[in-house]
Amino acid sequence: MSLSRGLLTQIEVVEALVLRETRTRFGAHQLGYFWAIFEPALWVATFYALYAFVGREAPPGMDLISFLLTGLIPFSLFNKITQQVSESINGNKALLFYPQVRPVDIAISRAVLEVMTYTSVFAIFIVSHALFTHEWPAVEDALMVILGFALASGLGLALGLVFCSLGVLTKLADRVRGPLLRPLFWCSGMFFTANDLPTNVREAMLYNPLLHVVELVRDGWFTAYHTRHADIGYVAMWLLCLMALGLLLERSVRRKIEVT
Amino acid sequence: MIELRNVCKVYETSAGPNCVLDDVNIRFSLGKSVGVLGRNGAGKSTLLRIIGGAEMPDSGEVIRRGRVSWPIGFAGGFNGSLSGEENCRFVARIYGRDVDLVVDATRDFAEVGAYFTMPVRTYSSGMRARLAFALSMAIDFDIYLVDEVTAVGDKNFQEKCRAAFAERRERSSVIIVSHQTKTLKEYCDRYAVLNRGRLEIFESLEEATECYEGKLAA
Repeated sequence: MSLSRGLLTQIEVVEALVLRETRTRFGAHQLGYFWAIFEPALWVATFYALYAFVGREAPPGMDLISFLLTGLIPFSLFNKITQQVSESINGNKALLFYPQVRPVDIAISRAVLEVMTYTSVFAIFIVSHALFTHEWPAVEDALMVILGFALASGLGLALGLVFCSLGVLTKLADRVRGPLLRPLFWCSGMFFTANDLPTNVREAMLYNPLLHVVELVRDGWFTAYHTRHADIGYVAMWLLCLMALGLLLERSVRRKIEVT
Repeated sequence: MIELRNVCKVYETSAGPNCVLDDVNIRFSLGKSVGVLGRNGAGKSTLLRIIGGAEMPDSGEVIRRGRVSWPIGFAGGFNGSLSGEENCRFVARIYGRDVDLVVDATRDFAEVGAYFTMPVRTYSSGMRARLAFALSMAIDFDIYLVDEVTAVGDKNFQEKCRAAFAERRERSSVIIVSHQTKTLKEYCDRYAVLNRGRLEIFESLEEATECYEGKLAA
């Protein structure tokens, strides 16, 4: 099969899978759409209340809602994509019945669906926030925000591929995923900016590529915030290494998957 | 045309390795339909999945020319929470066919009535197999892989399947696996017996049956 023919088949397959995943996830009752909005809304409301309760404020130049959102959305993109992609083989073995459907296609389509969901959620929140406060956000650098979202999604896809391939070899992969990723919730800059951290803490935190991603998004979003620490090259290195590992593992476990 | 060269497949089980296919060599040419006999658990479905490409052999190679169907049978391939129609749309898309044409043709052929727009998990196993059969006919393959379902549906539906296959006999062929000799005769030109990982090929059903029944008795 030639490369262009192969690529065409893959695009056809991914497109069909995205449509199908949308149907299965959001279902006949549209309750899925409600949850997709409700879950992050609840999250933002909880932390908004918490901040108000302890009297903490967003860093200077940011309003609290936008501060929380610019942390939550990139983190959720990464986190949800990792989770969904990790489960893409085990939940979908019936699909592998069709030889042109490969695990990596299911992984990509699940990532695409999460990206569509979370960017819609972000847009809905931003628009409703603007309508409520009568103040439109003056986005400083939209491309930087998009780059941040893309890097977060890419990292999620790559790590998800690693986990879903390891999951074929051992059940342990699914068990350790949660505990392994949980610290990222607190270290990815959802509740602070890198500029505000003490130097020694910051140096340790900056090993986490997600903190760089959140910094990039906030730098692009807020006119008043300029990160001094985000390093696109560092995130790109993580992305390349994880993606190479993920794709390599996916190829090597393909023949081990038992289609039932 | 499909050719299997030195194909081996071993499953790791808790009771040690189980060699399902042991150095299998066979050539399926266009226009010649083949029936493979084997008892339950002999590895017939594995053979079909490897022929179709859903699974890969541990060693050896599979050469495939032409459009090969997925293994059509009672099991797999459909998402239970989606309707028959939605499943058809998905399959038509991944094979790059016109979605509406495929859906219409399948609806006409499958005889599942109003169930066509209901979730597949509400189907009986016979309805599921009929849907799979109708869908594969609508998509139009060169080689059909059929897993045990030649006796699907009532007499009327079976007659329809026979007619559909007869009509495309010149351009399509079938590879059927079964544990019964009876249904193979109507479709096949050559026969094979799968036993303990070995595939033996016969030109007539009588020889194949003799070998198969000998193996059953043993």
